[in-house]
Amino acid sequence: MSEVTALADPVCPSCGAAIHAGDAFCEACGATVDGATAVAAPPEAPAVGAEAGAADALSAAAGGVVAATFISAAPRSERPHAEATPCLVCGGAVAGDGYCETCGTKARTWRDHWTESPAPWLGAVCDRGVRHSRNEDAMATMASAEAPPHPDSLAVLVVCDGVTSAPDSDQASLAASVDARDHLVAAARSTSHTSGAAAIEAMVHAITASCRIAQVAVTRVTDRLIAASPTGTLSEPPSCTFVAAVVADGRATVGWCGDSRAYWLGDDGSGLQLSHDHSLASELIAGGMTRAQAEQDPTAHTITRWLGIDSPSPTADTMTFDLPGPGWVMVCSDGMWNYASEPSQLSALMAQAVADGATTPTTIAESMAAFANNQGGADNIAVILARIEQNPEPVPNKES
Amino acid sequence: MASFTADVFQNEYLPDGSTEVHAVVSVTCTGAGQAGQTGSGDAAEIIIIDTSGSMDMPSAKIIAARRAAHVALDEIHDGTWFAVVAGNTGAQLIYPRQGTMVKMDAGHRSAAQQWVAQVQPGGATTIGAWLDCARDLFLSVPAAQRHAILLTDGKQEHEAPAELDRAIAQSKGVFQCDCRGVGDNWVVEQLRKIATGLLGTVDLIATPEQMEADFEAIIKRSMSRGVADVQLRVWAPAGSEVMFVRQVAPDVDDLTPRAVQVSELIREFPTGAWADESRDYHVAVRVPTAPVGSERLAARVELVVDDQVQAKGLVRAVWSADTDLTTRINPAVAHYTGQAELADAIQQGLAARKSGDEEAATMLLGRAAKIAHDAGNESTTRLLAKVVDITDPDTGTVRLKKEVATLDEMALDTSSTKTVRVRRDPAPDGSPPAGPPPGGQP
Repeated sequence: MSEVTALADPVCPSCGAAIHAGDAFCEACGATVDGATAVAAPPEAPAVGAEAGAADALSAAAGGVVAATFISAAPRSERPHAEATPCLVCGGAVAGDGYCETCGTKARTWRDHWTESPAPWLGAVCDRGVRHSRNEDAMATMASAEAPPHPDSLAVLVVCDGVTSAPDSDQASLAASVDARDHLVAAARSTSHTSGAAAIEAMVHAITASCRIAQVAVTRVTDRLIAASPTGTLSEPPSCTFVAAVVADGRATVGWCGDSRAYWLGDDGSGLQLSHDHSLASELIAGGMTRAQAEQDPTAHTITRWLGIDSPSPTADTMTFDLPGPGWVMVCSDGMWNYASEPSQLSALMAQAVADGATTPTTIAESMAAFANNQGGADNIAVILARIEQNPEPVPNKES
Repeated sequence: MASFTADVFQNEYLPDGSTEVHAVVSVTCTGAGQAGQTGSGDAAEIIIIDTSGSMDMPSAKIIAARRAAHVALDEIHDGTWFAVVAGNTGAQLIYPRQGTMVKMDAGHRSAAQQWVAQVQPGGATTIGAWLDCARDLFLSVPAAQRHAILLTDGKQEHEAPAELDRAIAQSKGVFQCDCRGVGDNWVVEQLRKIATGLLGTVDLIATPEQMEADFEAIIKRSMSRGVADVQLRVWAPAGSEVMFVRQVAPDVDDLTPRAVQVSELIREFPTGAWADESRDYHVAVRVPTAPVGSERLAARVELVVDDQVQAKGLVRAVWSADTDLTTRINPAVAHYTGQAELADAIQQGLAARKSGDEEAATMLLGRAAKIAHDAGNESTTRLLAKVVDITDPDTGTVRLKKEVATLDEMALDTSSTKTVRVRRDPAPDGSPPAGPPPGGQP
């Protein structure tokens, strides 16, 4: 912690952009950066310890008193357009404005690709993909140092997929996922004293509330964009999907709005899609079409629920799932599941990644994102994996 | 302290495989100050008056020229190096009486005005020699910003045409020159060549009595140019081709041939001295294509003074599979593409008419009528209507007039390069303005 606080400029805890003292929101990503959450971050890619330290402050701001075991990760605070990094296309120097001085290619920023691993049992990657010029997917994660089956183990996985047709959805999705994550971390702390049905109900309630908070974040970004627009209007307000999973007490509590998904992928080959897309494809499947047929339909990706000021129902559906044994909780955007929709396909991809030498949740997630990119990378990709090595028995009457 | 801003107007989205990037870069200078008074060096001003024999036919021309020079001298700020040159067969100093330029003060002003009042016409029109004389004078004093005004009523004679080209070439970068022709015996093409080479303007003074006000305005404007020497620096990526860099407002002026290669990827275009004003540039670059989803900088456009970058605009290329994005037409680019085409159509149409090719003239001037009408360029439409009968401006249907006054033809020719600023209608979708704000004509 001391290494972190010794460092200078205040930066946004979400995106690492410089902020001014007293700013309520980050100008770059729209995340909340009120005085309490404005933490100093290292000027270069943070070491694991530093990352955890910065995240501590974040959690503290979100949840008040937080045990030291709780750590969450903010995106790397690498400065966008770091001049030291050469152009990925031609190797030329990158100018201060973020473009290669030789071939003009826009340099990749942290927003185009980043990974998070707040604890060794959780890994995440968010990637621009191939076909889109901006990464409108966003994610936010948290994991305790203790992994399951430790009774205090906790992980929060949030993905928001910005709707590409609406400009600046990248800012909205990032603010939404960060705020939802922060709420869930705080809520998990306060419900850790309850147990049984009350605990399950409290977590479902927290998931529902985190979706509302994500909607507030999108609205806030929208208001800011409108205020900054010379015409005082936007051609289309930013919007995004939402999916969140809290892994605690041997259980996954899941909420979603739109077509970003949560899966259970058991080591024994059992797999399950925990969320049910709010999309026309889902309606087609409900109407009797096979999943393969429905997902081929040109309207398949039209979502019927989303977050945004133009959304008729920015609310989450929820479910709880008792984790049956060793396996993975996965949360992802359609940029991933477009290329592997069935749980069995996703399990096969993970097995392939491990066979290819991936050893950590992050490297497995990177490998899966690389697969999506190799398949065409038609959309932004976000993948979060939480490893459940062994589950605590769901405790009906846990004493805190 | 002068400050510059640069705003870029473009549709950066390109369909897969596309390579051509167009943008309008609108540059505005504020706080320019006054010529010679901003610490960047002295200013120098030369007034060149045609005193050939024709200026006495009628004598109203030489009388007006004396009067105009008098008023121009009033406008030159104290402390500015100056001279008045009489152009005839060769060139003579009217003031100072001999030697080199002097710095303006009350005594020199009144002495110069007395000598100007006594100028007598006689001799021929050797414009090349006049430019040589002005250049030698300018180079004899330590001035950083040099401007001349050249008045003639006739065409170059008693001098090989190549002499004019040579004089222009040698004067490039030495001084800027605004050219004015009085009456209908001069050649627009000749003065345009000078103005284009020496970063000035060309215009018609139809009758001698308009000369005084015109000179006053020209010198006032020159004196308000407090930023001496501004370069437009354009970087374009490796493997690209800068198709053109064209000033499109307040008038059309193709800068492309003036490019000075600074490095492999950077070229600079001299834009002369600046007052508080806005100028728009249309930049077109052909860049290597890149996969859908990629973004490449197509041009970095910078305003440079004394090798210091004052403002920067980024012209981007983003390849996209979204046809909603890639098919959008930027109104500023479309408007100025039309304005440049308008200038071409008028100049070529008038040339065709002169050479007797009525069919081509009708087609080109019809096209011009349509563009001027569509763009709301009323002054050009008015001038066109004196050369052709506009039957239907919407389709560009015109008939050549049988009798056209030479002056009307010249007025149309000289005004062909003057553009109107893009209309800034509020965008229907509430998106940011697609073009620079409308600005006044200089």
